[in-house]
Amino acid sequence: MLLRSVFTKTIRDLRWPTFWVALGCGLMTGYFAILFPTYSKILNMNDLLAKMGPMAKIFGSSVGDASTLIGFLHFELFSMMLPAGMIAFAAGMASGFTAGEESRGTIDVLLSYPVSRRRLILEKSLAILIACIVVAVVTGVFAVVGAALSASELPVGPLSAALALVVVLGLAFGAIALAISAATGNRGVSIGITVALMIAMYLIDALANIVDGLNTIRPLSLFKYYSGHDPLRYGLDLGDTAVLAAVTAVFLVIALVGFERRDLAA
Amino acid sequence: MTVAIETSKLTKYYGRSRGIIEVDLTVESGQIFGFLGPNGAGKSTTIRLLLDLIRPTSGSAHVLGLDAHRDRLAIDRRVSYVPGELALYGELTGRQLLTYLGNLQRHVDAQYREKLIERLELDPTKRIKGLSRGNKQKVGLVAAFMIRPELLIFDEPTAGLDPFIQLEFERLCEEAREEGRTVFISSHQLPEVEHLCDRVGIIREGRLLAVESIATLKARALHRLEIDFAGSVKVEAFAEVPGVRDVTLDDGTLRCTVIGSIDALIKTAARYEVVNLHSIDTSLEEIFLAYYGAGDGIAAQEADHAAA
Repeated sequence: MLLRSVFTKTIRDLRWPTFWVALGCGLMTGYFAILFPTYSKILNMNDLLAKMGPMAKIFGSSVGDASTLIGFLHFELFSMMLPAGMIAFAAGMASGFTAGEESRGTIDVLLSYPVSRRRLILEKSLAILIACIVVAVVTGVFAVVGAALSASELPVGPLSAALALVVVLGLAFGAIALAISAATGNRGVSIGITVALMIAMYLIDALANIVDGLNTIRPLSLFKYYSGHDPLRYGLDLGDTAVLAAVTAVFLVIALVGFERRDLAA
Repeated sequence: MTVAIETSKLTKYYGRSRGIIEVDLTVESGQIFGFLGPNGAGKSTTIRLLLDLIRPTSGSAHVLGLDAHRDRLAIDRRVSYVPGELALYGELTGRQLLTYLGNLQRHVDAQYREKLIERLELDPTKRIKGLSRGNKQKVGLVAAFMIRPELLIFDEPTAGLDPFIQLEFERLCEEAREEGRTVFISSHQLPEVEHLCDRVGIIREGRLLAVESIATLKARALHRLEIDFAGSVKVEAFAEVPGVRDVTLDDGTLRCTVIGSIDALIKTAARYEVVNLHSIDTSLEEIFLAYYGAGDGIAAQEADHAAA
């Protein structure tokens, strides 16, 4: 029964958004995996990238060999679509965890029960962690099935590493959105700032490949720790992953402290 | 005597705007207590401070002997609250919501819950978002009573309830009192709660003006009367009656206000042939004015009426 606790209730609230996002990401990935042989017959991906010259780097600092399925997926999905989708999902949901209950007015009833504000945030955060993992797993399954259908080679280890990094990146932005909404009670502000941050950080990281001046501020972009190494080829870089995990933890603490101290909206 | 609610110089400002100012409120256990005041007086602010949903600017609040902030979880295991603007998870059915809230509280009297659903004539299979305000309120009431809490806090509970359910609500409050529980009800209308409450606290513009027994309050309540007479009557005969003021006579219709008992006025009127008698409902504001700084307030209000 999904009405046992705030955690299970949040899982229940997230089940349809998770289903649709997982299906969307999965179908998109499966589509590219199935059609990869066709694509690579029509277009020589490496020639295409070479023609784009430095511009190609905007789609990822190390595209690698796009004539393999894993390089192709990196170029088509992991450079932008999948992380953007995961961030939008995690941040969109997390921004409503407390601020949504406040604007609907349900927070008054919920917090008149023996549920601490801290537990409310932690249980909901655990739920979004699981939801993001579900999206990644479904995406991975679609990719593997698609690859099998098109008889393309797709090593599962690197794919899992890349998907795990997408989850960690999504959670980092989710934590930022949660912190802003928990500290202000305003979901709109939270989504606005988080989306603006995501775009700014993406551009800083992508353009730093071709504009030298941006390299000094590049470490401020969370995408540096996402695109800086290439898990599809080399596995997870523990340092970069740890940075993203640390950012997630810091903003989760900010959310806890900010929410604990506030007057809640009537 | 044990104390259910005790606040000491409890003060809340929202930025610069006033919430409540130095409220010293004591509510004894085992009572039905009415918390009266006009809209915007600070009733909800006080209640939300008691529940630690907002934090005081200064002063302190204790509920069931526990600190409202530090011991919130312990308090919430023993207290139920139904807010005035009751918002519930619309996607759930009434029964699902009761299950969820029951799981959060962990000690629900399931048999009593079913009885409450029956008594309040709640259809628990309907989704909450499709319910009328009154039916939503019923869900809130079942949730509040089903855990048999030591203290029940209702913010403007009767708005939107039909008379039958309102009566049932009052019975439930009385039963709770018989079991030694405490009920705290806020309202902006005295008639709504006067027959239910043992004592009332009156709050106006953020300050607690007084805590009185209902009997005392009634004894000093303000009545506005209109009496139509068949024959001619003398204004002087009424103006002299104790407690009667602002007497006017117009075409056989006597208008006046009375503070406290209307007995003397009725006995005076009985000497003449009375065609009709109206008692015009007095607002809580008027009762306050009668109670505090009486004369000037009423005179000023009368002047306002005349000007309007």
